[in-house]
Amino acid sequence: MTQNLYHNKTLQWLFYLFAFGVIGAVPLISDDAFLLNQLAVYGVYGMLAVSISLCWGSGGILNMGQAIAFGLGAYCMAMTMQMQTQAEGTIPPFMLNNGLDALPWIWEPFRDTTTGIMLAVLVPTVFYLIFGGIMFTARVSGPFFAILTLATLSAFGTIFVDLQPYTNGVNGISPPGSLNLGETEIDPYSSGAYWFVFGLLVLCTVGAKLINQSRFGLVVRALKDDPERVRFLGYNVAIYETLVYTLSGLIAAIAGCSFAVLTQYVSPAQFDVGFSISIVIWAALGGRNSLIWAMFGAFTVQGAQSYVGDQFLNTWILILGFSFILVVRFLPGGFAGLVEAVLGRVARSDSQTDAASVDFSKAKEAAK
Amino acid sequence: MDISSIAFANSLILGLSIASIFFVAALGLTVIYGTAGVINMAHGEFIMLGAYTVYALQAFAGIPYFLCIPVAFVVVGAIGFAIEKSLIRYLYDRPLDTLLATWGVSLVLIQGTRLIFGSEPKYVEIPQFLSSNIEIGGLSLGVFRIFIIVMALLLAAGVWFVFYKTDFGIKIRAVTQNREIAASFGINSGQVYSFTFALGAGLAGVAGALFGALNIVLPTMGMGYVVEAFLTVVTGGGALLGSAIASLAIGELQSIFALVTNSTFAQFLIFVLIVVFLRFRPQGLISASGKRR
Repeated sequence: MTQNLYHNKTLQWLFYLFAFGVIGAVPLISDDAFLLNQLAVYGVYGMLAVSISLCWGSGGILNMGQAIAFGLGAYCMAMTMQMQTQAEGTIPPFMLNNGLDALPWIWEPFRDTTTGIMLAVLVPTVFYLIFGGIMFTARVSGPFFAILTLATLSAFGTIFVDLQPYTNGVNGISPPGSLNLGETEIDPYSSGAYWFVFGLLVLCTVGAKLINQSRFGLVVRALKDDPERVRFLGYNVAIYETLVYTLSGLIAAIAGCSFAVLTQYVSPAQFDVGFSISIVIWAALGGRNSLIWAMFGAFTVQGAQSYVGDQFLNTWILILGFSFILVVRFLPGGFAGLVEAVLGRVARSDSQTDAASVDFSKAKEAAK
Repeated sequence: MDISSIAFANSLILGLSIASIFFVAALGLTVIYGTAGVINMAHGEFIMLGAYTVYALQAFAGIPYFLCIPVAFVVVGAIGFAIEKSLIRYLYDRPLDTLLATWGVSLVLIQGTRLIFGSEPKYVEIPQFLSSNIEIGGLSLGVFRIFIIVMALLLAAGVWFVFYKTDFGIKIRAVTQNREIAASFGINSGQVYSFTFALGAGLAGVAGALFGALNIVLPTMGMGYVVEAFLTVVTGGGALLGSAIASLAIGELQSIFALVTNSTFAQFLIFVLIVVFLRFRPQGLISASGKRR
């Protein structure tokens, strides 16, 4: 029986193995510290795209405020790194400039590195749990939810600018040293940091894929197609929506932590609305329904942006905008949808007898 | 009158001014979202195009400011019409995709404008008498801000007239209530959507003509308006009266909060209040069509 190869689970895992094998091997080929750091930052963007693919592609929840978890995670991590470089009894210099003479209580937990890192992951995740819980029990969904995440993101951006004594306002926090885990220092310009981020990326992507293939993932994908029907079948839709939203927030929080470690700098730009929506663009171009293709979308867009050069940057954004419009209009599945369609056509020409089943799966696609 | 009550009265007047700006920014969006349910993320860029239209007319043709305002309406309305015909009308049954596609449109418009006019700020010139200040017993307000309040009232009256006193308005309201039934009564609903979208875009163009004179003109100037405009419309519920009440409430509250704390924190409080309000009343203050979006 000929099946669309795109839907073959063994091949999907082999593809993962191949793709991550290539990505993980980069430091063996190149030891350019700047390049490794840049590629590791792309890995962070990849994680963000994966997180959007999980909640939007699988759960149908368009979250335009994913930078909330990213920014919160990055800030908590930067605060931890800042406190590591701070001698006992001293406070960060920018606080002195803003008229503080003692460490604010909100900074206290970040004195301890373990607590700080735990907070960097937990704060955004718990916020997503509460925010999602409140919204989804009120059955807020669709474009409406997208707008509310956008409003919340703007609120965060504003408050981080406003709380200048605690966050250094628009200047952001730039910890003078890199992160130390116990005795080991994570130099952001090393193959160690690259593999560290790479490991997290693999963990997030594979974890998200396992979630998608589980029973839980099945219900989540069902409620994307018809939440009312899932509700009538006896499932508590709000719980599923909240959980998948929170899991995607967890991935974005991990991405935020890695970002702070790699760049040693955070600012309210991490809460920027444009940046937050560009995460959605990466996932949409790559293919919102496929985790790994969403990740490729992030690599392609950000990679191209860096390498087209400054004089073509303006034209590039124009091209990006147009291609985004075209993808949304004609190719809602992104590159992944294109691959799926091509492989489906190959399978069909192989065996005409199975044409009916392929048509059925295409009809399901069309119904989305 | 002691100092604090003068400050309070001043902030109330400033709140009225902020409200009128929110209302003008949200008016075009109200028309588009309230009628077709389209979440138009390019709305801010329509405002930006309105401002650039005025700038271009003044810089290259020397046309006086007051004449530029209706031209901005027509030019941006035409652009909106073209975008609706070529893109939006294929996406009416995919609301999330409309949102994304219009974000793509906004990227293209910003970048296109940057390529044509450059990234440096432009200025719109206004007649001398509009750039003065009026002071009455310790209260002061720029004449141009009063002009925006007057324009807000005029535009509201204009939109009300179109919606409730013309044949086209009857068609719009019929299509809003039920597209299929309206179509079966012989209303060309596709055409109505196109012209409504053009009307909303044109109103954004007028907003741009006003805001361009209030601030500097930049390709990215629209980004600042779109989230606020959306929150105003969604809080209002998509109806004209709802948007008016919502913008008045948001403007006054923001101004009063700013008096007590500072303007950034006031903005934060407004965002939080709106999110809480919409959690408990997702249909907004006055629901246009009865159904929840």
